[in-house]
Amino acid sequence: MQNHATEQELKERLSLIESMIAEGRRYTQSWGWTFVLWGVAYYLAIAWSAWSHSVWAWPATILIAVIITVVIASLKVGNQPATTLGRAIGSIWIALGISMALLFLALGLSGRLTDQHIFVAVIAAILGMANGASALILRWKVQLACAVVWWMAAVTTCFDTDARSTIVFLVAIFLCQIVFGIYGVIAEAQERKGRGPIHA
Amino acid sequence: MPELPEINPVVHGRLRLALLSLLSGVEEAEFTWLRAKTEATDGNLGAQLVKLEEARYVAVEKKFVLRKPQTLYRITETGRQALIEYVQALKQLLGPAINA
Repeated sequence: MQNHATEQELKERLSLIESMIAEGRRYTQSWGWTFVLWGVAYYLAIAWSAWSHSVWAWPATILIAVIITVVIASLKVGNQPATTLGRAIGSIWIALGISMALLFLALGLSGRLTDQHIFVAVIAAILGMANGASALILRWKVQLACAVVWWMAAVTTCFDTDARSTIVFLVAIFLCQIVFGIYGVIAEAQERKGRGPIHA
Repeated sequence: MPELPEINPVVHGRLRLALLSLLSGVEEAEFTWLRAKTEATDGNLGAQLVKLEEARYVAVEKKFVLRKPQTLYRITETGRQALIEYVQALKQLLGPAINA
């Protein structure tokens, strides 16, 4: 057989193996939309709580965002194969979702969600942890930059005035949720477009 | 002069090689996922998967999820070993040209 296989063909086969293994291991499902969805959810919760000072603003918004995420994700991941990497990343974000839903539901209902600085610091630190862990597993510098932004927001909000703390939080949401989410959606779309069919 | 290795013809087929490589990175995969990744036609994909199944390189499991049929494929230990040996044979055949 090797008499008929040209050097070019053999190299092409090696390259095919590498690209397909990478394809299988890639955490392929498009998750950019979740970042955008949660960014919008944070903005809605901030607007709702600023407008009505309701204790339900954060718990209700987070709960609705969790439900929407679970419903859309379960539809999208239908035929995605299980990988160790996928389970690792998924575990981080599922644990984050449960932690945030429980924490903010309890804080909101107990009426102890009164110090804005502590609230922003906690939410930013949790998001920094999740983004940082994902970025280190995926070796994704853009997501690591998001983690750094969240960590900086967590620290600066402790020392800033109320107004500046709000601005820091809004900017962090915009950069790390909206911009990063849209970047993720575009990157995934470009990846899909770059592939061609494989024939026997 | 060392003897050149034989290339396994079952693994060497482009689509079969792509399928084995894809399955080597996941625990198991659905037919529809493999079709999306390879962009092969149903007929061609099914035929190549049967060949891999006959060689015992992949195992197939058919089940119903929410009343819908689902066909799951996973690479077997024999399949994984065949892929490793194929890569080693390629590297040996290419020799220094591998980096060229």
